[in-house]
Amino acid sequence: MKQFLFTGIILLLALTAMSQTVITGKVTRENGEPLPGANIYLQGTYDGTSSNHKGEFKLKTAKTGPGIIQIGFISYEPYTKPVELKSDTIRLNVKLKEAFNQLSAVTITAGTFEASDKKQAVTITPLDMMTTAGAAGDVYGALQSLPGTTINGESGRLFVKGGDSQESQTYIDGSLVSVPYSSSAPNIATRGRFNPFMFKGTIFSTGGYSAEYGQALSSVLLLNTNDMPAEDQLDLSFLSVGVEFAGTKKWNNGAITGTLTYNNLGPYMSLAPQNYDWPHTPESTTGALSVRQKTGETGLFKFYSSFNKDGFTVRQDDLDRSGIPVDYKLSNDNQFMNASWNSKLGEKWAMNAAGSFTNNQDDIHFGQTSVVRRIQGLYLKNVFIYPFSDKFTLKFGGEFFSKAYSQNVQMTSEIHDNSFTNHTFSGFTEAQVYASSKFVTRIGGRVEYSEYLDRFTFSPRLSTAYKVTGKSQFSVAYGWFYQNPVDDYLLYTNQIKPERADHYTFSFQSSANSRTIRAELYFKDYKDLVKLNGEEFYLPTNYNNDGSGYAKGLDLFWRDKKTIKNGDYWISYSYLDTKRDYRNFPEEAVPTFASKHNLSVVYKHWIGSIRSYPGANFRYSSPRVYNDPNSPVFNSRKMLPYKSLDLSWSFLYRQNIILYGAVTNVLDFKNEFGQRYSDNPDSNGNYRGKAIQPSSNQFYVLACFITLTRKGNANQLEKIE
Amino acid sequence: MKKFTLIIAVVLVSLVSLAQKPEYLQTMGETLGQFANCQSVADFQDLGNKFEMIANAETSEWLPMYYHAQCYILMSFIEQGDAAIKDSYLDVAEKSVNKLMEMVPGEPEVFVLQAFYLTGRLVVNPMERGQEYGGLVGQATDKALAIDISNPRAKLMKLQMDMGSAPYMGLDPKSFCPAAKELLASWDNFKPKSPLHPNWGKDQAEGIVKGCQ
Repeated sequence: MKQFLFTGIILLLALTAMSQTVITGKVTRENGEPLPGANIYLQGTYDGTSSNHKGEFKLKTAKTGPGIIQIGFISYEPYTKPVELKSDTIRLNVKLKEAFNQLSAVTITAGTFEASDKKQAVTITPLDMMTTAGAAGDVYGALQSLPGTTINGESGRLFVKGGDSQESQTYIDGSLVSVPYSSSAPNIATRGRFNPFMFKGTIFSTGGYSAEYGQALSSVLLLNTNDMPAEDQLDLSFLSVGVEFAGTKKWNNGAITGTLTYNNLGPYMSLAPQNYDWPHTPESTTGALSVRQKTGETGLFKFYSSFNKDGFTVRQDDLDRSGIPVDYKLSNDNQFMNASWNSKLGEKWAMNAAGSFTNNQDDIHFGQTSVVRRIQGLYLKNVFIYPFSDKFTLKFGGEFFSKAYSQNVQMTSEIHDNSFTNHTFSGFTEAQVYASSKFVTRIGGRVEYSEYLDRFTFSPRLSTAYKVTGKSQFSVAYGWFYQNPVDDYLLYTNQIKPERADHYTFSFQSSANSRTIRAELYFKDYKDLVKLNGEEFYLPTNYNNDGSGYAKGLDLFWRDKKTIKNGDYWISYSYLDTKRDYRNFPEEAVPTFASKHNLSVVYKHWIGSIRSYPGANFRYSSPRVYNDPNSPVFNSRKMLPYKSLDLSWSFLYRQNIILYGAVTNVLDFKNEFGQRYSDNPDSNGNYRGKAIQPSSNQFYVLACFITLTRKGNANQLEKIE
Repeated sequence: MKKFTLIIAVVLVSLVSLAQKPEYLQTMGETLGQFANCQSVADFQDLGNKFEMIANAETSEWLPMYYHAQCYILMSFIEQGDAAIKDSYLDVAEKSVNKLMEMVPGEPEVFVLQAFYLTGRLVVNPMERGQEYGGLVGQATDKALAIDISNPRAKLMKLQMDMGSAPYMGLDPKSFCPAAKELLASWDNFKPKSPLHPNWGKDQAEGIVKGCQ
């Protein structure tokens, strides 16, 4: 039977072979290089072949009449050509054009560290953010191992490319976060309010960012929260400083997660040596609720809400009263809500709507003084995106930001009440145009109006990137950036204008074989910085916009996940040269927060045999300056350099139980952040000073993470791997 | 007797379809036969080209597209170059897998293929993609097994994933050896619907069992 059929087919083939059309030729790239393995066939038939190593092909067909030749190869635009098949030879030399694919096309990298797995130009992934030793689970701590940042141990906040910490803004799912840091006492480091495990992606832009973002002179940190959880689960975390319980319930198109966190540093601080006395050790309670709901085919609605209460009392010496200890007591209440909805509208239009609300109150008591500080922020944004084609996308949107800030100060005999409310209305538009997969330009503009200051600003933004080879690219960014003066000044005056910084960034990046190198040169020109003349900060006439400054530097980054098997390391170095004349500076000077050389070396290694993932992080920051009122020259004293070697160790005890330990500054380097001085001189005309120390030289943490699921195979590895 | 009837039925069915599409069956049979000779990326590329051509000619058949995707997934495993190149092969496979999901919804072999494709994505960068793609592979194999509990390829995909992630889960990969042996022993109990239907994987199962000794 089979044989019979076979013979039949042979016969059939033999018959048709009598009249054949031969199609022959060569397939090349645009530059003439041969393309082997290209697919050449007659559409709708079984007549086809592949090109050989020289790109040549020969295709025979018995078909006659009109036909269509199809030629294709991965990542190239398919070629089609109608032909007339009439038993002769058709010669065809075809140059295939590289297909345009946004994912593999050039991306703008100037100033940007994008943490996402999908993009090729990746340097730091979300996982890295979480697993860097020394970060101690703080988003901002982890970012301080990236180039462009300066570690300020007495602050804990982000200082980017010669910018002050207020010049950086944080956005969660598109919404501005009014109060991203926890409240702390002067000269004691703070942390971010948000658990890094909430986020799946991070974009850290240290300059030249999109027109979508305003009110930031130096940097924006864009955090994107996790999408839909995979299954129902219960996470239990026990740390040496607190406990956390999180439960997730999933349904068809949505999920809800409730989290309860309680932290108390009391037991820890009684065991580990501390540099300060804490009559009431830091304690915080947080409840959070997060909801995810899919809407329609493409939409996703996210809602997050948290209630947080924390407080502490720390004892500090009152240098104006011959060093008598005085208790600094702080209690903080923070409510935060954040919602976003991303969806496609029809075939092409896409919309991102976002909003956030913050209510934050600090109650502070020290000595005879009480301060109540309150911030209420409401932020609304709507962005529309329209792709005219693969290569041309237009984005535009509007933003409303309302901020009410009030401060009530009670001293023995006086009461000061100050407040202001500002509404900012903004609109922006931006076009992204790919001339080819090698060249992209993003051009946009932003208009802001501040009601309180009664000022309009216009910020043009421009960035481009050019791919030199498949692996390497150059990127340039330029733009004007405006930000309203700091809240503490706006309390007393609205007769000042927004401050301005112009960014010029030039960057080179090359990635191949799990190795990335990046170099970035930048220059920032600060204008219209607010100056305060004289001691009378409460007089509106003492403020003007006559300040200015500059920052320039070089950032280097090298990451290698290949050379050492199971090992992964990166080295980040920043050189910074900056001076400014702002606030109460008597002249242009290097600001306290800037350090000339910053180095971070991070290493992680997976050891399968003992199911462990140890990591190390060494950080060095060259001496920063500080002002000694006893010295005639402003900001002329130098602190000690900052040095720290941090270690962490994760151990997989059981498949759903992880043990984790970390210690900072294992080598016990002495770190000091300059001196603070009394406000008034003593009888000899001297200002009394005292060294600013970190709250402890070393920090230890031990933790146990347990995950319970129905299947019992998930763990929180992602958290600390 | 039952078996005999089955053979008759199969022969009848193939006769009927043969009568309709002799070229399809013959070309598919030949092209599938070449799988055994493929070793390099270029070999699989040529083979994938053929399946693409057949898929283009026979728009109502899902098997050519199935094998087209499989070629590209295998290419991503063999490729020694950059992650970007591996991902570009998998981009091609992804398109075919997605088309197959629409063409034959509920076909367990397509869910197996999807699991295979996702495994390919994971293998490109296990450290960073392990958590996410491991879960997705599990979901795909679960769907395949929910439709056909006896599908050996679905079990194989699951087993490979379990053994691959065992060190990260605090488990000994060898604890899956009994399951591997059982799978191999029962492999031939599964009969593909036709000679053209997916019938691969026994070699891999043998390889796993060998590694257990």
